[in-house]
Amino acid sequence: MSMTPVTAGAGSLFARDPRTARRRAAEARFRAYGMGAVLVGVAALLLLLSSVLSSGLGAFRQTQIHIPVMLAESALDPSGTRDPAAMRKVTTIGYGKVIDAALKDAIAQAGIALPLTDAEIAAMVSKEAPAQLRNKVLAEPALVGGTVQVSLLANGRIDGYLKGRVTMDSAQLDRNVTPQQLLLADEMVARGMMSRDFNPGFLTAPDASDLRPEAAGLGVAILGSAYMMLIVLGLALPLGVASSIYLEEFAPKNRWTDLIEVNIANLAAVPSIVFGVLGLAIFINFAGLPQSAPIVGGLVLTLMTLPTIIIATRAALKAVPPSIRDAALGVGASRMQAVFHHVLPLAAPGILTGAIIGLAQALGETAPLLLIGMVAFVREFPSAPPEGFFDPAPALPAQIYNWTQRADPAFVERAWGAIIVLLGFLLVMNAAAILLRRRFERRW
Amino acid sequence: MYDMRMPKPLAAAAACKVSARGVQVYYGATHALRDVDIDIADRAVTAFIGPSGCGKSTFLRCLNRMNDTIPGCRVLGDIRLDGEDIHDPRVDPVQLRARVGMVFQKPNPFPKSIYDNVAYGPRIHGLAPTRADLDVVVERSLRRAALWNDVKDRLHESGTGLSGGQQQRLCIARAIATSPEVLLMDEPCSALDPIATAQIEELIHELADQFSVVIVTHSMQQASRVSQHTAFFHLGELVEYGDTETVFTNPVDPRTENYITGRIG
Repeated sequence: MSMTPVTAGAGSLFARDPRTARRRAAEARFRAYGMGAVLVGVAALLLLLSSVLSSGLGAFRQTQIHIPVMLAESALDPSGTRDPAAMRKVTTIGYGKVIDAALKDAIAQAGIALPLTDAEIAAMVSKEAPAQLRNKVLAEPALVGGTVQVSLLANGRIDGYLKGRVTMDSAQLDRNVTPQQLLLADEMVARGMMSRDFNPGFLTAPDASDLRPEAAGLGVAILGSAYMMLIVLGLALPLGVASSIYLEEFAPKNRWTDLIEVNIANLAAVPSIVFGVLGLAIFINFAGLPQSAPIVGGLVLTLMTLPTIIIATRAALKAVPPSIRDAALGVGASRMQAVFHHVLPLAAPGILTGAIIGLAQALGETAPLLLIGMVAFVREFPSAPPEGFFDPAPALPAQIYNWTQRADPAFVERAWGAIIVLLGFLLVMNAAAILLRRRFERRW
Repeated sequence: MYDMRMPKPLAAAAACKVSARGVQVYYGATHALRDVDIDIADRAVTAFIGPSGCGKSTFLRCLNRMNDTIPGCRVLGDIRLDGEDIHDPRVDPVQLRARVGMVFQKPNPFPKSIYDNVAYGPRIHGLAPTRADLDVVVERSLRRAALWNDVKDRLHESGTGLSGGQQQRLCIARAIATSPEVLLMDEPCSALDPIATAQIEELIHELADQFSVVIVTHSMQQASRVSQHTAFFHLGELVEYGDTETVFTNPVDPRTENYITGRIG
């Protein structure tokens, strides 16, 4: 039996036959499609980032009014003892009067002559400013009796004017701000009495009420999210890794384990809001855990993250070549020794990456948190863990949702700012995942 | 008349180390190995030859119960190491594998240092209580595996950085570090070049002084070079077993002759 040689093309190597030309063209087309797809993705990302940054960076700077304030003893410490306990009797109303007087004086001193009522002048500062001043004085009672230069938060509308959100035209229609106030703001800026400065309070302060967006911060939400992440990490990582190791390395392959496997895959696809309903029904209604608490959020997010971690861990374990297990068993290692001495270290980068990606997913998850009350308005900082896990606290994504629901557009800017913070955390976590993978990756 | 196996105790001169009677292996519903009876001599090299899929590796893996780790694999029959049934419920396969070492087809060093590769077995079996003892065991094993001179200055570099032949010798060193009595080698040279193969074969010769070595090989030349006894497997049966010289020059079974002369396989 003779074989006829099959050749691709007879003739000169220099002449490209039509079939080869078609294959070449197909490849070129495919490359173009691929590059197009990548470009679309990059463009979408740039658009997203630029819009987030342009809308949100403003939240990191806040308008402040810099004026000298005379801290009269008669107003702030009638007892004259400088005893903070006694001084607490003076409420923010008392401090508000002090600020109003000081502001009026400062404007007169600066020679600004505008037809403004006292109420208009008083409304230049934030409603939060008296509380700020009170805290400052209570922390340092010796200040009373002297004059101190202070920086006070400006009203949100004034801040909006400096950021371009409020205009003379909109002020005409706005009951919360008058064009005269905006003119005053211009004068104060010109005299250095008002400026936009970096606003650490955005990251450290608690949320604020509808009337004082300028004072609202992410402090409690960041803590709430951090507490939830601690719970998720502490529960989902050990549970997920232990169950994956058991399923992958020890469990017999039978109908039960198949069933479990299918269910884990299904669980990973369950919409997160369902986990929220589950959390509400089981953890709050049945188990009686408090609402709005990081413990419940953490448990719900643990349930949501578990399948992700299990799937990632099993994939990492599967990727370890079986020859490594054979080698270990061949020298007389027990199953467990083979897993813990050899397989697990090799799978660790994949497991860690999966865990961090699962955590990042949990950090950004919003829907289940809405159902368990993590959108609550909370101004109290939770205490330190573990008690703090049971104190109410919002979470970052829920705070973003909350702010976008508020009427004052100043909150929308803060929502964008919070998105930047959230993206920053996610970026740090993903970078950590990449670094860990690079650092521990081993070849065999 | 194809059933011309020679189950009678063959190694009259050498003591019998491992004896198998009526071994059957099933992978699920597949009957992979039928009725294998064999006596493997101590301090000698026994070669298993046969075409791919004939069951020789499967049988090799029965001898240290590595088949236990394969889901759906069942081994029936009687296999005795020094007269003790290795399937007895009292036998822990972990202890069995410390006495019956194994070298695999593809070099599979752990992605750890050369030292840790060799030291792993003695460590987990508690054979070397102190660091000094361990150093001695590692050096002795590497010397026996003819690798010491190559690696003595880089014991703490990764074992995966060695060449293929060195990696396989490292795996041999790792296998002999626990002082096994039987050394199973599953096509140890199939991934190696001729020079590395020659080194490993020489090594097998030397190891046969202390161990009972069982080697699975596709190369009949290798079988004839290194082994004293040869078993020919075909389609899940042990067709012929005898002195290597006899099997190669004067086979009893026509299938053996066909395989050796290249007509089947």
